[in-house]
Amino acid sequence: MSGCLNIKLEDQYSDPDAISNTTTARELLASAYNSLPRYQMELSVLGDDFVPTNLAGKYAEMQNLYAWQEKAIDDLSDNVWSEYYMTVAIVNALLARADGITPKDEEDARLLENICSEAKALKALCYFDLLRLYGPVYSEENLSKEGIILKDRLELDFLPRSSIEDCASEIETLLKEAATADNASAEVFYLSTSAVKALQAEFELYRGNYSAAVSYGLPLLENASSRWNQTDYRNLWADNASADRLFAPYIFDSFYTDLCYDRESGDYFVLDNSLVFSDSDVRKDWAVHMINMGGKQVTALGKYNRMYYENATVRYINTMRYSGVCFTVAEAYARDLQYDLARQTVNMLLNAYGAEPLVDGLSGEELVEAILHEKHKEFAGEGVRLFDLKRMGRQLVKKGNFGVGTSVTVNADDYRWLFPIPQSEYKYNDKITQNNPQWPFIKTD
Amino acid sequence: MKRLPALISLISILLSFPVLLRSQTNGMRVLSGQVTDSYNEPLAGASVFVRGHIKDGTSTDSNGYFALELPDSKKVIIEASFLGMKPYTLEYTGQKEVLIVMEDDANMMESAIVMGKQNINDLDIRAKAGVINSVDMDRLQDRPVMDLSLSLQGSAPGLVVTNRGDLGTKPEIRIRGNSSFRKGDVANEPLYVLDGQVISSDAFMTLNPLDIADIKILKDAVACALYGTKAANGVLEITSVRGTNGDTMVTYDFNGGVTFRGRRGVQMMETDEKLELERRLKNVEAPGYRYSEDYYRRYFAKDPDLDKMIAEGKALLDKLRQTNTDWFKELLRNDFYQRHNLSVRGGNSKTSYYASANYSYQGGQVPGNDVNRFTGRMSLDQALGTKGYVSLSVSGGYSKANSPNGSTYSPTSLIYELNPYESKTSGELFSYPNRTYNDLVYQFDRTSTEKRFGATASINLEPLQGLTIGAVAGLDFVLSESLEFTPSTAYEEQRSGAPQNELGKISKSKNTNANVTTNVRVTWNRTFGKHDVTVGANTDYYLDNMDNMSVTGYGVGKLKSMSAINQSIEGNRKVSTSNFREKTAQLGVGLLGGYCYDGIYDIFGTYKADASSILPKDKRWNAAWAVGVGWNMKGYAFMEDWDPISTLRFKASYGRTASLAGVSPSLTVGTFSYLEDSYGDIRLLELMALYNDSLKPEQTVSTEVGMSMGLFNRVTLDVGWYDRRTEDALLDVPIPSSNGFTTLKRNIGILSNSGIEASVNTKIVDRNDFRLNLRLSLAYNRNKVIDLYDGDRLYTSEDTVIPDYEVGQSYDMIYGPISLGLDPMSGLPVFKGADGREIQATEKLRREDMVPLGHSVPPYNGTINLSFTYRQLEFDADFYYVFGGIKAYAYAYVRDYDDANRNAVRGQVQNMWFQKGDEGKIYHTPFYSSAAIENLTMWPNSRSVGSSDYLRLSMLSLRYRFPHSFIKKLGGIVKYGNVAIQASNLFTLTRYKESDPESGSFVGAQQPILTFNLSLSF
Repeated sequence: MSGCLNIKLEDQYSDPDAISNTTTARELLASAYNSLPRYQMELSVLGDDFVPTNLAGKYAEMQNLYAWQEKAIDDLSDNVWSEYYMTVAIVNALLARADGITPKDEEDARLLENICSEAKALKALCYFDLLRLYGPVYSEENLSKEGIILKDRLELDFLPRSSIEDCASEIETLLKEAATADNASAEVFYLSTSAVKALQAEFELYRGNYSAAVSYGLPLLENASSRWNQTDYRNLWADNASADRLFAPYIFDSFYTDLCYDRESGDYFVLDNSLVFSDSDVRKDWAVHMINMGGKQVTALGKYNRMYYENATVRYINTMRYSGVCFTVAEAYARDLQYDLARQTVNMLLNAYGAEPLVDGLSGEELVEAILHEKHKEFAGEGVRLFDLKRMGRQLVKKGNFGVGTSVTVNADDYRWLFPIPQSEYKYNDKITQNNPQWPFIKTD
Repeated sequence: MKRLPALISLISILLSFPVLLRSQTNGMRVLSGQVTDSYNEPLAGASVFVRGHIKDGTSTDSNGYFALELPDSKKVIIEASFLGMKPYTLEYTGQKEVLIVMEDDANMMESAIVMGKQNINDLDIRAKAGVINSVDMDRLQDRPVMDLSLSLQGSAPGLVVTNRGDLGTKPEIRIRGNSSFRKGDVANEPLYVLDGQVISSDAFMTLNPLDIADIKILKDAVACALYGTKAANGVLEITSVRGTNGDTMVTYDFNGGVTFRGRRGVQMMETDEKLELERRLKNVEAPGYRYSEDYYRRYFAKDPDLDKMIAEGKALLDKLRQTNTDWFKELLRNDFYQRHNLSVRGGNSKTSYYASANYSYQGGQVPGNDVNRFTGRMSLDQALGTKGYVSLSVSGGYSKANSPNGSTYSPTSLIYELNPYESKTSGELFSYPNRTYNDLVYQFDRTSTEKRFGATASINLEPLQGLTIGAVAGLDFVLSESLEFTPSTAYEEQRSGAPQNELGKISKSKNTNANVTTNVRVTWNRTFGKHDVTVGANTDYYLDNMDNMSVTGYGVGKLKSMSAINQSIEGNRKVSTSNFREKTAQLGVGLLGGYCYDGIYDIFGTYKADASSILPKDKRWNAAWAVGVGWNMKGYAFMEDWDPISTLRFKASYGRTASLAGVSPSLTVGTFSYLEDSYGDIRLLELMALYNDSLKPEQTVSTEVGMSMGLFNRVTLDVGWYDRRTEDALLDVPIPSSNGFTTLKRNIGILSNSGIEASVNTKIVDRNDFRLNLRLSLAYNRNKVIDLYDGDRLYTSEDTVIPDYEVGQSYDMIYGPISLGLDPMSGLPVFKGADGREIQATEKLRREDMVPLGHSVPPYNGTINLSFTYRQLEFDADFYYVFGGIKAYAYAYVRDYDDANRNAVRGQVQNMWFQKGDEGKIYHTPFYSSAAIENLTMWPNSRSVGSSDYLRLSMLSLRYRFPHSFIKKLGGIVKYGNVAIQASNLFTLTRYKESDPESGSFVGAQQPILTFNLSLSF
């Protein structure tokens, strides 16, 4: 009798028929990729990639972030936290429904396997970023300390934070499961098996498992010399196909348009003066953008910022690159006391760029420092440096306008290295604890 | 000024009244009067004639009025007849006027046919136990207001209509308050039923009031239960005008008049005071300081040309002083109102028909804001032998509203911003630097149209005595279109930074909404001695199909056309389309039973089970049931003949209804939809919301007790008490953000609306030629949060210190700190903290420092209706009042240092704190640090709210019916005629100091309208 009530919605798709084949599963995964947070600029401003210009005062929010003001970090943290967990939620929705999909044939089964692999890798990526931002540095004594919330299902939960150890093992498991699929030839905006390997390498380096980092990373560098030619580097920042990309999310809107005040007056922030490229280095033309501010030539960020100046469209966000694997492997070698291999690995890249290679004989802490400095140069403005600074337990010196003088110093033991758990979480979750007593934790009722 | 001739002719007609009155006494004897049924409802189309002279008889007009020429014989017997009524006879004894009250003829009812009742849910048996108010349609039709929903304001106690914006905006309509924590129409709007067909509230707004015979307001569970779960917020039952059993009558009705600017919300400064304020605020952006002596002495103290500069400055200021613009008059206008209505009505005992056409126009206060409407309606009733009848109605309407008040820009707000020393031609404005007046106006326009079509067919049969079978099926379709246009020349577009070929924005949307209703009902009624038994059953099906789409594009330049969109644009000005389609259905089965003993005791019960397509299969069925009892004291033999009490009736009812209002599939089950963007070459399929699979429908539980009493047939008193609890009330509540979503719709608590509604109707004078009637009504609604399942206070935003809901408090509470006034030393307000300590404005207020300040929705409202009839003259006045609520003052027109360049409220120089030691000031210092901003601007405090009580003269009508002798002089073509002066919203009395106490906005106050009305029947 109530058959007339079984009305299918025309442009909405409800369970149980909504995600019933690999096409719709892929489309749902696409929305998970699309929801991946994009805070490359903010994280760079927090780190030591940039120094302010005389215009920075006109962008109070970003200036406050540069100065590590509590409120600014708290605001950023709120967005970062909820956006990463949004991606996690979509992945959870997908994984739960993927179980119910019956593949049509072998090819379909393979597609489904790839989708699940990518979904798990994406979730691992989110957890890894969250853990690096909200958790303490990974070390033996911190293992039992609180990390992030691990969320398995799409439903209302009030979960406590898991220990660093549990978080790490969850990420490890997710990546391992993701790596089982044969998804090497995936599009660059998907997390292919190679991208999963690169993530594993980076994660092992983070955990201090240097040999594991090398064993995951090294196979990816096999044909490295062929992809590190100057054309491929240029293509990275001209939005063309580049063999250096491992994972580059596709973007529909504009990206990284906030660094520039306006095209005539210049940028709010420019590159730190320690980031110097030699004239023969291909990166000098693409990673750096010389602009005129108040009659002076200054070294502004190139990359997406240059694309903004030139009104070029950004379609790919270069999130993971083979050059990143190179630095991961090199650092792992160096920390594993294999200095020659470390230098060789980095120099392979530097030579390809036409940059000055690391000098022979460089070893120990100096070598690690040199590798990290080269990595800083390579990823300037891409929000990578902050993670390294935190991992290394560095003191951070925030400079004055155009790099003159010191405005703020952030010590290695500063409470702000651990992002605050945002109000949007702790206000409504009794099981959550705040990161550091200095961070606000205002509970009412 | 152009309207002057119209006014003069109006006055001349009024002055001629005495002449007309006198002319009546010459020659022929004429009897005039009104025919009504026993409920005092006028009977249109009743035959009135002199016995033996049927051919010279007449029939009553649409309001039951008639005038009859009497033959010059000694004994004259007047007869009146109307189908289904007992014939009425009366001997003429020289009276001028007569009221003929006809009674139902029970015998005749069985064989004759009650014409045209399409709504088969409109069962009389409901009314014995349920609460049903009828709207006085005559008064409503006397009110010159285009919007039918606004004209319902004050028409029944408990029905609250609140204007929300400028002309053409849908007002808020609630029966006994909000029944949900969710604010807004979707969850709280009543159900609209036109002739048995469900229609949308948008369709209701466009109906022509003259086509409506009756509107019933169904308030309690017993009255509403026949509509099942759709009726949790009450029902408005609309019955259209139908044909008559009598001669064909053609009626033309015209209204024409003036619409006024209305009440001036806030008196703004004139030039002298404004320049003085600017001097004191010391902002160089404002000329009053920039060209003042103070300025030159401060910045050029040692300049050799100082004296010259001062003199030049003074000359410039003197020049500004020559202009003194009243922007209220400059930007708002008087416009006009007109309405033409033509109807044809007639029939015989087998067939009757009605057709009408209507055109109306109302101009708003702001140039560019107006509403046009055209409607048409036809209905036909045909008897099927002696056992039943079929009815058909078809109606359509077109309405168009223009508005220059767009989302980006409101010309009305300029009244409070432009300076008196500025004018439309004064070039670059101080109040809007870099802009001229022309950069501010004609920046945006919006046209919205509604096209409505409805058709209803019904059949009523009585195959066996006491057994009736009714069926109704209908369709109502509304196409709403809107077109929004920002030309490339608009300031915002010019400054957008977009290249020239991307300028100019146009956006068009088409929304269709189709409602289909089918309902079949079987009712059996039998009387066994003193026992009267009714049982019935029905099954109904409602389908609601919504299909919306819109396109937004750029690069149209100055062309208001979709085809001018530049399709080559990429990026955020790329053409975008959106689409939404939702089809929902509800299937219901209902049972009812009623029993009456000896006309004294009534008991009535209904049960209805409804299944909705919105919910998953296992939760699909929900119920609505109600029981009611009635006790008619007048039914006792000892009461029957006791005259002082003419009626005395008690009723009580209880019922439960599940409500699915505002629940959509994506809230209960995982639902996905496509986004416009893509990821690579893959479309994005988005999870629409975090769904709650334990979501339950809200349950409305209502209890009602009422009494109605009539004294000496003169005074009627109706009093009722009600309580309506909403259990498992739904709300989007915040959840930990680690869930990926920040809100989830959950069943969070219980709220209640309880109150008292009372009305008294007194016939102060009740003579044939002179009647005076006074009706007073008052409704009180107290709403309260009874329980919140998670704690005592609910905050829907993480950083607010003001609770959205609090147990034990009203859900419309305005919260804020208690202000102790201004500190004479700092000029900033000082607040009283929860622990009694003084809190400075620069300190952060905590949640416990916030106290309830008052109700945002006034709990009391009511009407005073006055009617006065003397011979051919009729006078009616309606007052509407509300009290008990508060509204926060925005103080947007009080200027501080930063916005010193905009005009300010009159008296600010006097009332503002400027220096240490200033005491007794109202407005805080204009110079303050940012630390105090939150406390100064984020929430109201005990001194920045004001009572929103008001009393409004909502309707005034003075009508003169042409006497018969005058009609005769017109040559016999016209059967009836009358003229009237009608007005709506002529004045509003309020203590509220800012804008409009009703809508709370500077933009939308109901405008006063004064019209002349002429109505002729042929």
